Amino acid sequence: MPTGKRAALAFGLWAVLTPATAHATDFCTEHIRETIVEAVRGIVQQVTPGPSHPAPQAVAPGGPTVDIADLTRPEAVEQRVRGAAPKVGPELRLTVRDGQARLGDFTIGSAETLTGHLLVLNGNAHIYGKLLGNLVTVDGDVVLHPGGAVSGDILALHGDVKDQGGEVAGAVRTLNAAAPSAAARAALRRPSALEALGTHAAGVVGVFVTLLALGFGLVMFARPHLEVVSDTVSHSFGRSFITGLVGQILLLPTFGMLVVGLILSVAGILLLPFAVVVYALLMILGVGGGYLAVAHAIGETYARRRMARGSAMGSPNSYRYLMLGLIGLFFLWAAWALFGWVPVAGEMVRGAAVLVTWLLATAGFGAALLSRAGLRENFAGRIVPPEALTDEYLWATPQFGVPAVRRPETTTPSGRSVSQPPDSGR
Amino acid sequence: MRGTALTLVLACWAGSLPAQTMRPFSTYRQQHGETRLGARLEFAAGTVRVLAGRPSELYRMSLSYDAERFRPLSRYDKASGAVTLGVESSGNTGLRVVSTEHLKQMAVVELSPRTDLSLGLALGASDADLDVGGLRITALQLETGASRTTLRFSAPNPVRCRSATISAGAAEVSVIGLGNSRCDEVQLEGGVGKVLLDFTGTSTPAQRAVLTLAVGELTLRLPRHLGVRISADKFLSSFEPAGLVRRGSDYVTPDFDPSARHLDLVVKTAMGGVKLEWVN
Repeated sequence: MPTGKRAALAFGLWAVLTPATAHATDFCTEHIRETIVEAVRGIVQQVTPGPSHPAPQAVAPGGPTVDIADLTRPEAVEQRVRGAAPKVGPELRLTVRDGQARLGDFTIGSAETLTGHLLVLNGNAHIYGKLLGNLVTVDGDVVLHPGGAVSGDILALHGDVKDQGGEVAGAVRTLNAAAPSAAARAALRRPSALEALGTHAAGVVGVFVTLLALGFGLVMFARPHLEVVSDTVSHSFGRSFITGLVGQILLLPTFGMLVVGLILSVAGILLLPFAVVVYALLMILGVGGGYLAVAHAIGETYARRRMARGSAMGSPNSYRYLMLGLIGLFFLWAAWALFGWVPVAGEMVRGAAVLVTWLLATAGFGAALLSRAGLRENFAGRIVPPEALTDEYLWATPQFGVPAVRRPETTTPSGRSVSQPPDSGR
Repeated sequence: MRGTALTLVLACWAGSLPAQTMRPFSTYRQQHGETRLGARLEFAAGTVRVLAGRPSELYRMSLSYDAERFRPLSRYDKASGAVTLGVESSGNTGLRVVSTEHLKQMAVVELSPRTDLSLGLALGASDADLDVGGLRITALQLETGASRTTLRFSAPNPVRCRSATISAGAAEVSVIGLGNSRCDEVQLEGGVGKVLLDFTGTSTPAQRAVLTLAVGELTLRLPRHLGVRISADKFLSSFEPAGLVRRGSDYVTPDFDPSARHLDLVVKTAMGGVKLEWVN
């Protein structure tokens, strides 16, 4: 295939695969595309001539002045040069302090000695002779030929220095264009709506499944405690929230006091790592368990209301309550997953979800504190412990000074008539 | 219809923010008969490698740096023969490492094997592989922050080294082949971390090391043929003087006096453990 055709084919491929069309395919194929683009770019560079440089000419003095005497800070030099010559062309006017500027390729012949700094724009600098000063190229290479010598520093901006045996008394530096890695681009690129939706949905579902698994574990191994915390939230929500809020404020000071106390006690220093880990675990358990208890309370309330309306529900138990509650809370975040990509509204939805989640987690944390992790029922609305609610107790023991004979009577499955305690419907 | 179109436009909109940019920078200086060089490498975050370079060059650095937060450092003072390489913070942003992506800065520094070298390294959150084997090290100073650093004397130091000072923060530091370093004195000051000092190598006749470690594990890898004396000052630390015998307040190897090579170790640890590993 002729070189021209190959170049055209390569260019066509390259054009198809440029980042402009990446959004359609970058969801899964970013890496593959990157590889192909790089390969095609390589082919293009192989089959096409290098960048065309303007015709060699001197840049007329006048216009802004550029100082290239100090090249130790290449970024600053780049800024100065770009600022002074934003558009490079034959009409450019530029003064180089103690030197000269050239446009296009420039050569110092083997018999020549050039005194002063040299700035070459959009061209390569070939050094066969001597340059008594600094050399800066912009968008071009420096080629040091055997016998060539530069008494100062060399800086190639967006170019390369090819040392073929020349001599440089100073430092040689090259600074090239930024090339963000594919990973960096992927990390910092604003995702498309579809990507955002997919990512958010996956995150929300993942958290939901995790919470569900943790909640089921909690129900399986610590149901009485979870129920007490859940009842505390239901019956004393305001109190739980205030307690949770105060608890959150006191978290860090308490931790600080714990650490200082252990350090001061000298022997306690050894316990410090364990204490830190235990404290962190307790906090996670308090907040996480409290949040699950809130979900349990929400699910229980919902299920009871449905049953009260006569809706059929399969076995109403803590597992079901927890799942119903988590689904309810999940809807809040599902809304964010669906519409989070919408400007402004998405942020509002997320703000609302965060606020509600924080509010419920705070209440749950407070309930966990109030009930001592489900050990104390004082705020759970349980006046009489469930184990005390036997038939004998209900017959024989009047509660709160109300005579048993005045309680409304119900019939037990065994046919015995018993009085109804105030919260026996629980 | 308009709503659908708007939704589609919004769904397909994926404007790009300016991505983190890694800029390639390189610098070198030809060797013009210099006999000594004071080289200092400052590298806040990323991966760094130091090794012996070409004899025709005094130094060379190839760098890929985060242009948003740092700028390359390449200063040479001809009068004092000192070069400073690496990256420095661009000022207004400071060092912010919020993901592993920010640690992808990379520097490869090559130093002349012909020139007497006083080497100073200041490393931050970095992963460093420093092979100074073959370099003419006259003094070495290494400061590391939260880094994983391996300093290796893979070949004998052709010249005598006054001292090697290692200062480690929360770091994992391994110094391999200290016997090749020809450093009269090795000083280690460690904060929290894991330190391995390997005294294998052949070119150092007598060496003294003062090792201070606050919290962590210090492993001393010692050749069996070496006459070792350890003076341990420890608080809440464990130290198993395996292979050593007690002489006064110190521990020595049984054949300490007749040994051709001697190593005096002063070990001070607060919390942690000191381990001895004997190698042939």
